[in-house]
This record gives sequence, structure tokens and C-alpha cells, in this order.
Amino acid sequence: MNLKTRKLAELDRVIHEPGRLMIVALLSAVEQCDFLYLQHETEMNKGTLSSHLSKLEEAGYVEVTKTYRGKIPLTLLRLTVEGRQAFQQYRKKMKEAL
Amino acid sequence: MQEQGEVAKMDQVERLMERPLLYNNVDGVGELGLGFMFLGSALLQWLPIHATWWHRYGSFVGFLLLITALHYGVKAIKTHITFPRTGYVAYQKRGFFWRGAIAGGVAGMVCGLSFALSARSHWGIGRSPWSMTTPAALFGLVIAAGYAWRIAREVHWKWAVAAAMAICSVAIAMLPEGVINSLTANRSDFGALVAASMGALPLTFMLYGAILVLSGGISFVLYLRHTQPVTETAE
Repeated sequence: MNLKTRKLAELDRVIHEPGRLMIVALLSAVEQCDFLYLQHETEMNKGTLSSHLSKLEEAGYVEVTKTYRGKIPLTLLRLTVEGRQAFQQYRKKMKEAL
Repeated sequence: MQEQGEVAKMDQVERLMERPLLYNNVDGVGELGLGFMFLGSALLQWLPIHATWWHRYGSFVGFLLLITALHYGVKAIKTHITFPRTGYVAYQKRGFFWRGAIAGGVAGMVCGLSFALSARSHWGIGRSPWSMTTPAALFGLVIAAGYAWRIAREVHWKWAVAAAMAICSVAIAMLPEGVINSLTANRSDFGALVAASMGALPLTFMLYGAILVLSGGISFVLYLRHTQPVTETAE
């Protein structure tokens, strides 16, 4: 196994999945955003987006806060410190591998 | 093959990281705000020269009122129109600080260069018919370049807006000195240094303001037409 392949093998699998990578990349550029914004930008349906967010939340990379805007439910999302570090590591390893 | 795919994936990731910043103007409100800011600034520069009743602290108060109105106006549109339609985003303050610092640095360099050019004219060094309009034209071209880089790259019809801005800047640079003097009401107490900012700059602000308000207005109408407020979510 050469060095590049080994670097690719070491990548964080939670982030490496394309859908979750999109979510983490978007969240890394903001302080926080809501579910609707992520849905609008990623063009995923609610079920798929929820599923990816659950996996990221389980990994401790995303913090989910459920609240209300008036009478409408509002789901706020932000990347945790661990999430930001993991994404930085992921980008670093990808750049080294490519 | 896999490597090429990963390179493309990382390029996409880098582009995605720029999306939230572009989202700030998804509804054209960013342009509308900047446009009204330019128009208001042009008015506040024009009034002290042409209106005899204008109080000397009027510009200061007017500018504060303008900033306040724009801040709360933009906030109200975002809260009541944009966020319920395409989502809410809170930006990182650190990012805003650096962007502000870079924008301030560029503005400072342009102002410095502008005043240097004006001063040359003031002291009779290299005086030319364009020396009074060059600072304003330079300022306009920097704004047009920034606009092209930040907005027109993503929304292709906005290249026409960037081109209109650049054409306006060149047109202002070519204006005869007499026209600029008439804009300063031919007041003899203005030296060339002041005349450059008192004459051509409000004209640049006025034209850029009108262009940005028009462009932002079109974007806003298109945004309203293509989006609907979400009334209920099950996330």
C-alpha cells in the first residue's frame, strides 16, 4: 500500500461520505444555520438530510437545537469544536493524499 | 481515476464553503442595501454644497440615520422574507472581521492613491483634465472589480451590472473639468484635493447606487417569484 492510498484509508469515514461532507463543509463556513438552509443548499430531501445529521450528531460533530420561530418548528445546527477539528484534519489529510 | 475523483470532490468542498457567504445576497438585499448606502452618501455629500439651509452637522446625523435605517431594514427583510423561504444563517464573527479588515485595507489604499493623485493636481504637478476625476473613477473601478469577483462570478447576468459600473467609471474619468466644477457649484474655497471628492465622487456614488438598486431590485423580485415561505416543517 503506497503512502497516498494509506492516507486515503485513514480518512474519517463519517465525514468522507459525500452527503455528510457537503453538510460539514457548509456548516464549517457559518456560526449556525437552520435545517431549511441546509436542505436548500444540498438539495437533499428531509429524510436523507435528517439521517445524515443524526449520524453527525452521534459522532459528536454537529449540535442540534430544536426551537420555534413563532409557531413554526425551527431546527438550528452548528458544528461542534470536535466537528471543526475533524473537518480540518480531513481536509489536511485529503490535501496530503492528493 | 479515484485520485481525479477525489480532487474534483475537494474542489466542490472548497466551493461549498463559499456558498454561505454568497447566500447573504441570494435575495438581492445585499445589493439593495449597498445601493441605498451609495445613494444616501451621494445625497449627504451633495447637500452641504448645494443647500444653503444645510447644517454643518447634518451630514453626520444623516449618515447615522442612514446606517441605522439600512441595518434594521435589511434585518427586517431577512427575518420576515428570506429566512422563512430559504433558511436562516448566522455568520462567524471572525470571518466578518477579516473580510472587513481586507475591505478596509483596500479602501485605505484606494483613498491614499486618490489623495496622492489629487495632491499632485493641487500642487500643479502633472495637472491634466482628468486629474480631478481619476480618484473617483479609480474608486469606482475597484468597486466594480470587487463586485465582479464576489457576485458576477456566481450569477452570470450580473456581469452586465459589473460592466455598467466599469463603463460609468470610465465615463466619469473622461468628464471635462468644467462639469466637475459645476458639481461643486464652482465654489472657489474648494481646492483640487477637495473638489475631486466633492465633485466626481458623489456622481460615482449616485450612478453606482442607482445600478445596484436596480440590480438588487431585479434579484429581489426574482427571488420572491421563485421561492415560497415554508409554513410547516417536520425535521
